Order: sequence, then C-alpha cells, then structure tokens
Amino acid sequence: MQPRKSGFRRFGVGFILSWSLIPIYWVINTSFQTDAQISDTPSHLFPPTPTLANYKALLIGDGELQHMVRRSTINIFIECISATFITVTLASLAAYAFARMEFKGRKFFLFMVVMTMAFPTYTTLIPMYKIMAMVHLVNTYLGIILCYVSGFLPLATWILFSYMQSLPAAIEEAGSVDGASRMQVFRLIVLPLAMPAIASTAVITFLFAWAQFIFPLVLASDESTQPLTVIVAAIQGRHVVPYSLLSTAGVIALSVPAVIALLTNRFIVSGLINGSVK
Amino acid sequence: MLDAIKVSKSTKSAAIALTVASALGFATLAAPAKAASPVTISVVLAAPPLPAPMLAEFTKATGITVKWTQLDWDSLQTKIAAAATANTFFADATDVDWSRVGQLGKLNWFLPMEKYVDTKALAADMPQLGSFSKNGHVVGIPYDASFMVTTVNKALFAKAGITKMPTTIDEYTADLKAVKAKGVVQYPLNIPFAAAEGLSTYWYETTGAFGGHILDANGKPLFTDPASAGYKAAAWMVNAVKTGLVPPGNINVADSQGQQTLMAKGKVASTFSDYSGNVGSLYEVPASSSVVGQVKYIPTPGLKGTAANLGNPDGIGIPAKAKNPEAAAKFISWFTDGKNMADFAGASGTARTWVGYFFPSRLSGIAILNKKGSIIGGDVLASMLKTSAAVFPQGAPAWYPEFSGAVYSNLHAAAAGTKTVDAAIKAIGAVATKLSSGK
Repeated sequence: MQPRKSGFRRFGVGFILSWSLIPIYWVINTSFQTDAQISDTPSHLFPPTPTLANYKALLIGDGELQHMVRRSTINIFIECISATFITVTLASLAAYAFARMEFKGRKFFLFMVVMTMAFPTYTTLIPMYKIMAMVHLVNTYLGIILCYVSGFLPLATWILFSYMQSLPAAIEEAGSVDGASRMQVFRLIVLPLAMPAIASTAVITFLFAWAQFIFPLVLASDESTQPLTVIVAAIQGRHVVPYSLLSTAGVIALSVPAVIALLTNRFIVSGLINGSVK
Repeated sequence: MLDAIKVSKSTKSAAIALTVASALGFATLAAPAKAASPVTISVVLAAPPLPAPMLAEFTKATGITVKWTQLDWDSLQTKIAAAATANTFFADATDVDWSRVGQLGKLNWFLPMEKYVDTKALAADMPQLGSFSKNGHVVGIPYDASFMVTTVNKALFAKAGITKMPTTIDEYTADLKAVKAKGVVQYPLNIPFAAAEGLSTYWYETTGAFGGHILDANGKPLFTDPASAGYKAAAWMVNAVKTGLVPPGNINVADSQGQQTLMAKGKVASTFSDYSGNVGSLYEVPASSSVVGQVKYIPTPGLKGTAANLGNPDGIGIPAKAKNPEAAAKFISWFTDGKNMADFAGASGTARTWVGYFFPSRLSGIAILNKKGSIIGGDVLASMLKTSAAVFPQGAPAWYPEFSGAVYSNLHAAAAGTKTVDAAIKAIGAVATKLSSGK
C-alpha cells in the first residue's frame, strides 16, 4: 500500500504546485514577450525571442512611468520595513506581558487582541481613513505604517505569545534571582531565546505588508507615498491594457517577496506552528 | 513565582517609552506638510499625466500648478467612494464616469459644475454634457467623447465578397455568416462575454440598434417582453455565440482584451460595440495590430437603418471636499477647451499628444482635428458624435453599479449555457424592478 500512498502524495503535491506556479510562470513568460507575441495563436510556452524591453521600459529612463515605479519601490520598502520593525517591537512587549505577567484582565485583553484578527479589512477601512484624516496623516508614510501595524499586531502578538509561553520560566526566574530587573530579563534572556519566533514574525509581517493594496490605495494620495502594488495596478489603461508591461510590473513586485519567502520559508513555517505543540 | 510578579512601574514606563520613541522616530518619515501653496491642485484620473509642456503652459497662464496622480479606473472608483464616505479630501478634480453620474449626483459627492463653469454655453458644443446632469446639476464635464461604434475589418469582409457595408442588423448578421461560411475566419464576431462592464455596455448598444431603451424614466425595465429591443438584443448576442459567429473562448474575454487580441489581430472581422477611437489608437498602430489599414468605422446597423451610437464618455468633476474648487474649475475649463482637446488627440504633434486619449468631447475640437486631418475616421466619428445618445436618457440611475453587475453576470451565464436567455432577462428585470422601487 505504501507505493500507492506515495503516488497519491506526489500527485497531490504536483497538482498544488502546478496550480500555484503555472500562473506565476505565465506572468514571467509574458514579461519577456512583446505585445504582438502575447496575442499570437497558439500562445508561446516560452518567449520566442526573449526581450528585456518591458523591464527597460519600466526601470530605465527619466519618463513619468519609470519615475513612478522607482519611487513606489522605495516607498514600499520604507513602509514594509518600518511596519515590520514597529510591529515586531510592540508585539514582543505585548506577547511577553501576556505570557508572563499577571495583571487584571490579562486573558480578556489577549482575547480582544486575537479577536480583532477576525474583522474583515473593509470594515476598518473607512474609520481608519477618517482617523488618519483627523490627525493629518493621510498621504504620509506614518499614516500607512500605523495602519499596517494595527492590522498585523494581533497576529504577531499571538505568534510570539505562543512561543514565549513555551519557553521554560526557570531561566527567567534564575535571572530575577541574580538581580536582573524585569526589562533586563526581557532584553537579555527572553529576546535572545525568542529570536527564531521574532525572525519568523518579522518575515510574515513583511510579506503581509508587501501584499497590501486597499489601505495604501485609500491612504496614499500621490506617488510620494504610493507603494509598488498600487502603481502596478495604475499601469492598467482605461481602454487599452498593456499586458506585457503589466506582467513585467507584476514580476518586479513579486520578486522581493518571492526571494524572501524562498530564503526564509523555514522561519515562516516555524512561526506559524509556534506553540502548536507543547 | 515569576507569573505572580506584578507589572512594575519601570517596566510600564519602558514599554511606553519604547512605543512612543518608535512612533516619534517614524514620524520623521511622514511626508512633509504640503507647502500651503493656494494654487497647487491635485488631479487624479485613470490616465497618465498630460504632456508636460501643456501642463507648464497652463501653470504659466494661470499660476496654478497641477499635481497629477494616475490610478486604474476601478481603484479610482474605490478611492472616490472611500474619500466621500469618510468626508475627506483626496483630490481637487477627478473622474466622473457617465455610469456613476446618478450615484454621485444623488449622494452629492461632487460640487455642481454649473456654479463654476458656464455649462449652458458649453452644451451646444458638447453633445454629451446632458449625460452628466442629475437633479438639475451638472456633476462633471465630459473630456473624452467615448461612444460605442461598430468596426469592421473591410479586408476580411472583401475576402468574403462583401464590399457594400451592412446598414441593418439583418444585413450585418447575414454578412457575418457569409464571412464564416466562406472560411475567411472561423469566428467573425467579437462579443466580450466575460462577466464585466464591457458586456453590459455591449448589450446597451445592441439594444439601441434594435430600436429600444433599457430603462424607462422611472428606472423600470423595458426589456422583459420578448418583443422588446433589449430582449431581442440579448437573444441575438447569445445566439451569435451558439451559432459559432463568436469564438467560444469569448465567454471569458473582456472588452479591451477582445479588441487587442482578436480584432487587432484579424482573428475576427467585426466588433459591433467597439470604442470610438480604437481605429486610430489600436488598429492602426503597427506595434499592436496586424490589421493596419483594414478596420473602419461603419454607421451602426440598426433595425431599419443606421442606429444611434450610445455614449460612454469620461468626465471630470470637483469632489465636494476639494481644497481648491475655483482653481480646479479653471483647470477643468482649460482641460476641456476645444483646441486643447484637439492637441491631446494629436492635432499639434506628438509633444502635445496625450497617450491613451481618444476623442474630444467638443465639436469644435473635432473640427480642428478634421481640418488638420490628424484623426483617423474623424469625419465619420464627428457625425456619429453629433447624433450620439445617452444610454439612459434620464441619466444613469444611482443604483447603476448594482444593475450593471446583474446585467453582465446574467448575460455571461446565458452565453455560457448555464441559463436561458429568458431566465437571464427575467433575473436582470427583477433586479431593475427591485432597485427602481427603492427596496
């Protein structure tokens, strides 16, 4: 029965991989073709005469389009890295408090934090927009970053809470006995021990932030803060859609999270299963 | 026990300090407060920026600087709705699509243009201005006179021995059948059956060709009777795919996709409801077309002769929360000036041509283009624009987006064979009846 099981498994894995990767391959394939080639029949499984023209058209030169792509790439890095840093910092403190400290309403607050993950994004969009407008943070990096942080903080806190709870309390108690303050215990003992979970939380948060569209669309009014995801969509014309250019922009937007996911998939998996087994 | 340790003051202070420090640190990343220049306006459209020399001329003449932001059309509609709902500024001038006029007018999301621009004086030169009025107010000014036209690949028709262009729907259908029968192309007609807005507008245009309207003055459906134009139009479209006039793959083809990958490649011989301007901006462009010189506009074949072309123009208006409405109005006046629109369309060379722009909304602009001979099929288009009609003579209803969703999803289902035409029409009619009743 074993070979049959293995065959099913291989088929299942192959099917899921094909389902996920063929569209991505097709976008990459299209990005190396001309507009004329992409509408040939039958379609080209490989670029017949691979060209970098689309990449040059987006990245090289002083035109408005190239400027938008370059600027939005810088914006997305600033917004994602900042949101990741703040989220992980605050989540570490919150997770430690929930895992180790005794205070009134601890379980209730933890429940409330986790519960916010169930809110659909759209329900918070308009209130968030109003708040940001009131405090004059629309079309600012800070406004977008704070929205990201508020969105990702619950999951990050939960991942780190699960991990910190699984750490042996005896090590921290030993630190306290040796005279370390609470913050010293946190900084010198807990943080180094929690580093694998912090790394995975950071990667997950960064990837989530990179994929954001609707919040930066609404909160960013112009190219000074619009991230790459918004600009990629903007390339789409009203009547004529530049498919090859759109695919190329998609590949550029995809490349950073793809590389990060490939290099750090170990952390991502461990982060998602942290605390699931004790 | 460590668990029992209470939160100390120092721990609390450290946590708060860290949070505040992070926030303050990143506060420096906030974009600097925009220099309070009273003459900088924000224009957000689903189009690339105007040619820099033209914007510079506008700034020189008026002292108003334009900050242009491009978004895709769907995202822009989301943005307009979000900003209006949150009662927040996002632009001084932005898109007013013909299909959103009812919704925008009812909700007062845009300022009445007649307060800023002499709309009465404009009306004679701007045939589509009426499509932008709701409840006695002009919500936006059309800047691109997009309307639906019939395009024919005359070379493919000629191969089938057809040299006289059809003037009625019956002749048109017979010609398409002849093109197919003679093996010129396997599927001669392009209808974008993907469940998207392009399918809805295609049906509106076909309904007009069959001699009718979609809704009455109260928003009630006029298409549920099998003898009505809307019903016949839906049946004609679905029958076309069932009899092999339309490629079967078109079930999932959207309007622009069909124009770019089928019509521009000579794989189909005609698009009954095409975009005005596509001949010049797509079919005559060698980089994107293999049918250069072959595709022409023809007067829309109707039930008993030429039918009106229904308009789906793009407009521009001033959101209610605009910071500089007066300056925005000056920009809109300049933007919709006949000569400037002619320049956008290529009347004065490439340096002043606006990429992706189709067709001036003012007859005076078209006259300039025709005089200079710089628009392909300009004379035909000009005459079509004069007689172009609104899809909804009383203005698009406020519930148009929901209605359109019902139209395209049901027509798509009928073409895919999961619904009969009758069931699809009944479903669309039920939605229109419900929405127009305010239920």
